[in-house]
Formats: sequence, C-alpha cells, structure tokens
Amino acid sequence: MRHHRLLDFLATFTVISVGLVTLIGLLSERGSAPASIADFMVQLVTVIAAVAVLIGILNLISVHLGRFVRAEHGWPYSLVVLVVAVAVIALRILDRADIWSGELEGEQVSLRVFEAVQVSLESALAAIILFSLVYAAYRLLRHGATVWNVLFGTAAVIVLLGWIPLENLDVLGDVRDWLVRVPVSAGTRGILIGVGLGTVTVGIRVLIGQDRSYRS
Amino acid sequence: MSNSELTWILLAIASAASLTGLLIVRRRTLALRPIPAYVVLQESAADAVESDNQIHFSMGSVAPGQASTISALTAAEIIYRLGERLAISPRPPLITFSDPLTLPLAQDTLRRAYEFRQKMQYYRSSAAAWYPQGPRALAYAAGAASLSADVDAHSNVLLGRFGIELALFGESSLRHEQVLIAHSDLPEGQAIAYVQADQVLLGEELYVGPAYMKGRPLEIGGVLAQDVLRWAVILGILIAALQAL
Repeated sequence: MRHHRLLDFLATFTVISVGLVTLIGLLSERGSAPASIADFMVQLVTVIAAVAVLIGILNLISVHLGRFVRAEHGWPYSLVVLVVAVAVIALRILDRADIWSGELEGEQVSLRVFEAVQVSLESALAAIILFSLVYAAYRLLRHGATVWNVLFGTAAVIVLLGWIPLENLDVLGDVRDWLVRVPVSAGTRGILIGVGLGTVTVGIRVLIGQDRSYRS
Repeated sequence: MSNSELTWILLAIASAASLTGLLIVRRRTLALRPIPAYVVLQESAADAVESDNQIHFSMGSVAPGQASTISALTAAEIIYRLGERLAISPRPPLITFSDPLTLPLAQDTLRRAYEFRQKMQYYRSSAAAWYPQGPRALAYAAGAASLSADVDAHSNVLLGRFGIELALFGESSLRHEQVLIAHSDLPEGQAIAYVQADQVLLGEELYVGPAYMKGRPLEIGGVLAQDVLRWAVILGILIAALQAL
C-alpha cells in the first residue's frame, strides 16, 4: 500500500510539474527559456512515441505467437500476421541495405508492398461506406419522423442532388453551397468549441493532479 | 488581446468555475441533466455481465502525448468506471485503438479495474488490442469491428477520435445486432455517429462522462465549469457580433 502511495505521489508530481512547465512554455514567447523547455518536452513525446511503436509491435507479435503456439481459435490468421510482419521487416532491412538492382534499383520495395495492400484495401472499404451511410440515413427516417431527423434527411438529399451537374439543378447547387457554408460550418464550429471547452475543464483536473488515470 | 492572454483568462475562468462547482457540490446535491447515452452505457455493462458477454470499447486514434491527450484520458476514465463493474465477469472487455501510445494506457486501465475488484485472475493484457493504421483508419475500423463480432460482443462503445471509419463500426453493429454507443471529437465522425448509433454522445458530452458514473465532487463541479464556459463563449460571440454591426 505504501509502495503504491509513493508511486502515486511521484506520478502526480511528474504530471503536475511537466504539465505546468509545458503550458507556461507553450504560452511564452518563442526563443525564451520556458519555450525551449516546452519544446524539449514535446520532442520527448516523439521519442516516447517511437518506443511505443516498438512496444506495440512486440506486443502484437507476442499475442499472435501465443495464439499460434496454443492453436487457439483463428490461429491461421495469427500465422499470416506473423509471416507478413517478418516479411515486411526483412524487406525493410533489404531496402536499407540498398541491395536492389535492375528495375528495382533505388526503390523502397517495403513501402510499395505496404501501399499495394493497404491502399487497395482502404479504397475498397471507402467505397462500402457510401452504401452504409445511405442505408443508415434510411433507417434514421424509419425510426420516426422527428424534426431533427427530417431536417437531417432533407439536408442530405439537397446536398447529394446539388452535386448532380445538370443545368436545371443550379438552384440546388446554390442551396448546397449555402448549407455547407452557413449552417454546417456553424454546427461544426459549435461541436469543436464544445470539445475545446471540455478539454479545458478536464485539463484543469489533470493539472491539479486530480485525474486518476495514471494512479493505482 | 493576444492568444496567450486569452488562454490564461480561459484557464482562470475554468479553474474558478471548477472550484466553485466543487464547493457547491460539497454543500448540496446537484442534479445533472440526463444524458441518455450514459444511462444506456451503464445498462449495457450490467446486461453484458448478466449475459456473460463482452463489451467492445474502441478509442479510435486518440493517444496520450498527442493533441487528443485529454480525450484519451477521459475515454480511459469512462472505460475504467465501467471496467470496475465488468471485472466481476471472467470475460474482460475488449479495448481497441489505433495509436501505439494508447496501448499502455488501455492495458493499465483494465489492470486497475481488475485490481480494484481483486479479480486479477480474469485480467488479460491481450484484451487491449492495437490495430496499426495506415494513411486512413478504415482498415483499423474494419479489423476492430470484425474482432468485436468474432467475440460476440454485446455492444460497441466508441469513445475518442473517429472519422468516416465510424460507419464501418455502425454497419457491423447493425449486422450483428450489437448496441452502438458512439462519440467522436471530429465533426465528420460525429455526424456519422448521429445517423448510425443507438445512442450518441455529442461533442463535449464525452468530457462529463466520469461525473455521470459515480462522479466525484470535482468532476461534477467540472460539469458546472463547462456550462459557465459555454455561456461565456456565447456571450463573447454575441458581443463580438454586436460590435461588428
């Protein structure tokens, strides 16, 4: 218990001091001592992020290795993950060694392989999203015609129709532009201001050491 | 007035309002306005324990140390409060996210909840799953939604930062008859959450979450501070608009 209390005290002390120093630094003039210290703190985060990626990869490999060794449900997928991870790491090492010749000379093969898989996959998923959203809007209206649902549905239909490049539908294009410029922009700013205010109030709790997410 | 002066003023108002809220809450009980999503969230946790099912929490791309630090901490705190209730079940909740910096936060959040309940035998660090994301988060969302369906999760609770990929969670929840409770601190994710989720948390409603779940006086005071700040901003906008006329 005493051990936990000491660790909690150290964690709270670290959070308060680093938080205050960084806040003061970020609000000070560029080039001043507090600003330099804040810059250093922000750079530290970058280093920690790099270490976190490494920890994440080790964790990923250990989880899938465990599933594969214990032949748990879905172990073939774990095997695929492990093989692909090792292959990408090997390709990256070969890229760095610059061993490619001929057509591949100077190429980043690991990057090309990654993009070939990832970009195709995400493009396909992006195409599916359109259908999901149209169906979701239909379901929303089926749940009940509240003022907000009807308003949402009408705005969505006008915006979609406004994109149709027909001469007679110029008016809808103008309405779409107005919708995006005025109410949508105002709503977006409202949400972002709300998020900002929420962030400030929780930030105060963190700065005075009352946030418990890093304590036992 | 410079940006830094404005920030200091905002912080001073927020601090004063939070402390005033704390003093008020210590003297009298404040009735918070109901937020349906938090009611359903707590009911879902109870249902999941009773039906021996898991709950899938997704934190999206929030991460401590980034611009979304506060969203990450708040989402973790909400997961902890629910995790305390879920820890009596041998099936730990599933937490997915796309930033590796969130991995220690998510694992520690679960560990603390199980330690609090003295049920460490049920705790699995692998219940926090990192899905590395590419240029966009669509593959992450597809993978996490698929995992949630595989473990037959009772509900999907999305707290944090999501863009259009939130639609994939919505689609999967609908297909597998899972309850979807969603929030995003990005407007595009928020719009999709409004259309697809059974319950939606709008904008700043995420940050008052701990106050709605066994909230401590300072957290409930924070709700009051948020209201004060909101009115201060509204007044500021009105004054600026009137001056511009």
